[in-house]
Amino acid sequence: MEYKEIIEIFKGAAANPGGQAGQWKKEHEGKIFGFLLTDVPEELVHAAGFLPYAVNAEEGMLDFADAHLQTWACSFSRNSLAAAVQGKLSFLDGLIIPQTCDTTRMLMGIWKHVRPLSFMENYRLPRQVDRPSAGDYLHGELKRLKERLEDFRGREIKEDELTESISLYNRNRRLLRRLYMVQVKTPQLLSSKDLFTIIKASMVMPREKVNFLLEQLLAACEAVTGSDHKVERRRLLISGTLLEPLELLDFINEKGGLIVADDLQNGSRYLEADAAENGDPLEALVQRQLKRMPSALYEPQKQRRAKYLVNLAREKGAQGVLFLHLKFCEPENYDYYDNMQAMEKAGIPAMRVETAFGGIPPGQLQTRVHAFMEMLGGEDVD
Amino acid sequence: MKELMADYYTRGAEAKEKGIPVAWVTAVFPVEIIYAAGLFPFYPENFGAVASARKLADKLSSAAEAKGYAHDLCAYSRCGLGDAHSREHPVGEIVKPDLLLCCNTQCGSLSKWFEVAGRFYEAPYFLLDAPQIGIEPDELSKQYYTAQLQELIAFLESFNGKKFDYDRLREVMAYANEACRLWNEILETAALKPAPFGFFDACFHMAPIVTWRGTPQAVNYYRNLQQELENRIKNKVFAIENERFKLYFDHIPLWPKLRWFSDICASHHALVAVSQYTHSWAYSFDLERPLESLAENYTEAFVNRVFDYRIQRKIKLMQRYDVDGFMLFSNRSCKPNAFGLYDKKNIISKITGLPGVVFEADMSDLRFFSEAHVLARLEPFFEQLESA
Repeated sequence: MEYKEIIEIFKGAAANPGGQAGQWKKEHEGKIFGFLLTDVPEELVHAAGFLPYAVNAEEGMLDFADAHLQTWACSFSRNSLAAAVQGKLSFLDGLIIPQTCDTTRMLMGIWKHVRPLSFMENYRLPRQVDRPSAGDYLHGELKRLKERLEDFRGREIKEDELTESISLYNRNRRLLRRLYMVQVKTPQLLSSKDLFTIIKASMVMPREKVNFLLEQLLAACEAVTGSDHKVERRRLLISGTLLEPLELLDFINEKGGLIVADDLQNGSRYLEADAAENGDPLEALVQRQLKRMPSALYEPQKQRRAKYLVNLAREKGAQGVLFLHLKFCEPENYDYYDNMQAMEKAGIPAMRVETAFGGIPPGQLQTRVHAFMEMLGGEDVD
Repeated sequence: MKELMADYYTRGAEAKEKGIPVAWVTAVFPVEIIYAAGLFPFYPENFGAVASARKLADKLSSAAEAKGYAHDLCAYSRCGLGDAHSREHPVGEIVKPDLLLCCNTQCGSLSKWFEVAGRFYEAPYFLLDAPQIGIEPDELSKQYYTAQLQELIAFLESFNGKKFDYDRLREVMAYANEACRLWNEILETAALKPAPFGFFDACFHMAPIVTWRGTPQAVNYYRNLQQELENRIKNKVFAIENERFKLYFDHIPLWPKLRWFSDICASHHALVAVSQYTHSWAYSFDLERPLESLAENYTEAFVNRVFDYRIQRKIKLMQRYDVDGFMLFSNRSCKPNAFGLYDKKNIISKITGLPGVVFEADMSDLRFFSEAHVLARLEPFFEQLESA
């Protein structure tokens, strides 16, 4: 297959995630377990034999959420619930919500009453990650979730089954990290939006198929060396909880911008940190979770997020930082002042834009992103 | 009461002068440990409530908003952060922390606010993390919380440079037990028909149970209040004139409009008798196993429970106080208490047959308050109540 054809397959899945999931269900007579982004151990769900499916901005009509969730809840939670209310997630057999903020702590109760499924569980993540109690507790919580999945499927999830799934997901993360580098080194082959679209698609497609496609895609892309050299690209770090709308990346690329790093839940935070493939697999998942990059959702005792971001920007040679504020996302908003101060001190130009899930990206966002890129000296790319 | 709170703030300033460390603490944190460790607990939430009641939340918030904090964040935190970033202190300057201790059962806004404040004031921060509990308490959460209490005590021992005194902890917990017992007996008087005491009185008298439980002052305060209520009952002095209805209310009051709101209810002869909010401080500790008992009492509180448990809890309170209807306040500042209320209203009405109403506003910030909206929601509710 031509590499462009492979990209099109991913684009198709991202544009119609429910369609391809429904297709899979019909073909495999399997069960699909939805999860909210993104700190859910998909490996466990996969080892149980179910297809993990990221509920991620199915094009819903937000009005459908109005009777159940206030308009001042973030558009991610409202969009997800609206999709469920509208019946756009009717192929789901189960749902796992990671409790990472006040909204995700409250959403399951509403969802249960609005669209009950036969399996619905909260994944109660520890919010402090540095003290010994966090690891012990998380091991217990993963064990609880594993037992619930075992009850549902009617038999035990064996250690080697889980290790196999871990290995599959590790491979997937490695491939996606390589693809990230393709976007940085040869942006003429893969736009930033294509990269993040592939990440998004991989969260809803069977991972074996994703890995198969990614290997072919990488083989084609990595054979090409050297950038187009038409313009000098501006290197950007983007930071926030969730990236949406993905059109935002086009606004960056249009003005000669390139994403060299990020700390997004549906970006690098999803791709980094592999789990060990030897020893107790549950413990491997515990360690992977606790060692992930700092985020607004967890209390950072040892590694302050602002400092981490400055170091990341320097290490990747970022010339600017774009902070994304998903409107109504409290945790992210509380971190902004510290992050911004740190960038100022480090002499790294930074700007914040407000974003939301659903609907057409507003022109204002484009204007602001373009203005920032021009400030960084970015030039138009044809 | 006002003098007592003024005294509390003076003592905070005095503690600073005497070199007693000031620990910022959240309302549903095991403050018993702080008292036992010889620290002075300061409640920034109380600072937010006072600023809100004085209608100064918008002004303080604007200083926080100028630094990039959005106006959709919890208003208490905007008051605190606004005070930190501002040269003017219309409510009096917040007492600066020497350390910050937060439990996240109530919400994630507090834990982020404390994290931010810890950086701002350059003081150490300890997060006591509480996973949400389902209908039944689970051993895993309890063990996690208890393990963290041990980590907290080690943190405090290292901060204080001395061993933690468990005998003192038991003594403090005994005072807390007594204060909680008295407070709940006082709240029960709202079930009398007519009642000498209601929710708005409870809001006025709740500061000691939140901030001083574990001290003899709180016990004395509520003994006196109980005596006063007995006198009121004897002299037939009631909370409102001609009480006809009793109501349940969720959750934090509209501080800047408290009087306005209570007058509306009184004009319909409706006594707001009960709320999960004022019933939050109903602890009963087992002094023989102090840490486990703290863990049970603090994690099993309704603020840390799932949707269905909260519905059960509300219905139980409604039944105990034999209410005629319920009002649910969708408080912009308080996502965990507001999210789910729309469905809860329908479910509770279906189960109990009681009329209910949900209205939108903010506990502090008058920019999110519309008198017309609240009245438009309340009027049909009262009509329904009166025609029942």
